[in-house]
Order: sequence, then structure tokens, then C-alpha cells
Amino acid sequence: MFADGLFLGFAVLAVLGAAGLVVFRHPMNGAMSFVVTLISLAGLYALLSAKLIFALQLIVYAGAIMSLIVFIIMFLNIQPSDLPKEETKLVYILGGLAVVLPIGLFLAKIVKTLPLSSTAILGNDFGGVKQVGLLLFKDWLVPFEIVSILLLISLIGAVVLAGKKEAVK
Amino acid sequence: MIHSYLYLSIILFCLGIVGVISRRNVFTVFMSIELMLNAANLAFVAFARVHESMDGHVLAMMVMAVAAAEAALALAVVILLHKHKSKLDTNVFSLLKG
Repeated sequence: MFADGLFLGFAVLAVLGAAGLVVFRHPMNGAMSFVVTLISLAGLYALLSAKLIFALQLIVYAGAIMSLIVFIIMFLNIQPSDLPKEETKLVYILGGLAVVLPIGLFLAKIVKTLPLSSTAILGNDFGGVKQVGLLLFKDWLVPFEIVSILLLISLIGAVVLAGKKEAVK
Repeated sequence: MIHSYLYLSIILFCLGIVGVISRRNVFTVFMSIELMLNAANLAFVAFARVHESMDGHVLAMMVMAVAAAEAALALAVVILLHKHKSKLDTNVFSLLKG
């Protein structure tokens, strides 16, 4: 089926991008391969008929957050000599995989017990802006306001951190 | 099938943990944390599709907002640390070590 082929392509791209993020030495290469992961995750959200989340993933994650990270990486003007020397990186990555593998297998075993259900693409009344917005402003109003306070706090924190030292004192 | 989405989410989350515990570059560690947030988002959206309720979508939006706030603050901290030490190694940033 067409959707299955799309899922396979996006899944392979996502895993390859994540592996590249873990393996690449320079953070710019890692950021570029992470963008591939984010865009293929957006495709997966579209396959799960989450239209609003699909758009938000592209605009907020792949657009805003990643361009902020890439901007900071370029702003710091990182030379290859500035990077930490990680001669034993591959050993650490293999060790980390060995540590994480049992957790992953355990989770996979839990997933296996879930009942099967179809992921056919749903029609107009699921995942659009109107439906999610109504839910957000009716049932999730208090968490929404708390998130707005969190964003305000992080705004103030960024200004205090980036401001001049005299202003802090 | 929904299981493949959840398996993919598990794989991405485990890769994020590996990135956090095995790399020493600040930016790679930071982006690995973002990768774990994204894996959680994928699981939220997949379960929302299973139950055909959109609460998972709202939670995914909240996770995105938290990730944006975290990115702004963490990058400001990284710039300050780079100004002080001119290094990007997490082993150098052990100021709070007892």
C-alpha cells in the first residue's frame, strides 16, 4: 500500500538522521541530519492524520528551533580544534547502545501486548486546527496558561542571562 | 499498523539516550534531548490516532512549547559558558561539582 511505503521511507530517514546526529563529530553536521529526522517525523504526523501537529512540526521545530540552534552554532564560529577530543567516542556509543538495548527491548515487549489497530487516514473532523483548538481552549485551558507562564519565565531568563553584567547586579 | 510507529518512537528515544550519555559536545547533547522529546511526541500522536481523541495532539503542542523555551534558555547558557571557557566540552563545564 502507498501509505505503508511512505511510512517505511520516513521511518528509515528518521532513524538515519538520528544516528547521524549521534555519530557526527561537528555539531553543524549533526544539526543538519537532525533536521532530516524532524522533517520525516512531520511526514509521519501527516500519516497519523494529525494535520495541525504536522504543520507545527515543520514551522516550530524544523523552522524556528532548528534555525535558532544552527544560528548559535554559526555565531560561536566553531573550528574543528574547538571541539572536544573524543577518541573513544565509538566505544562509548557502543557501550551506550548496550546499556540502552535492554530498556528498548522491554518497551518493545510492552508495545507487542497492545491490541492491533488501523492507522488509515481519517477525514475532516480529526486533527484539524478547529478541533484541536476547541479541545485546547476547553479541556486544556489551565495547562495552556501554565505553558504561557513558562514561556514568559524563559523569556525573562534569556534576557537576564544575555544582558550586561552591570544590569544583573 | 500502530505498532510500527511505537517501535520507531522507542528506537528514536534510545538513540537520544545514547547521544546524551556517550557524547561530550554540548550541542550534540542538547539536540539528543530534543530527539527524545520528539520521540515522545510521536508516541503521543500515535496513541491519539489509536483512540481517535485529540488530547495527544494538545500534549504534543505543549511539549513543543516546552522544547522552544528550553532551546532559548539552554542556548543562552551555552553562549555564556563558551564566553567564559571557550570550550564546548561538557567535561569542562563542571562548575557545580563538589
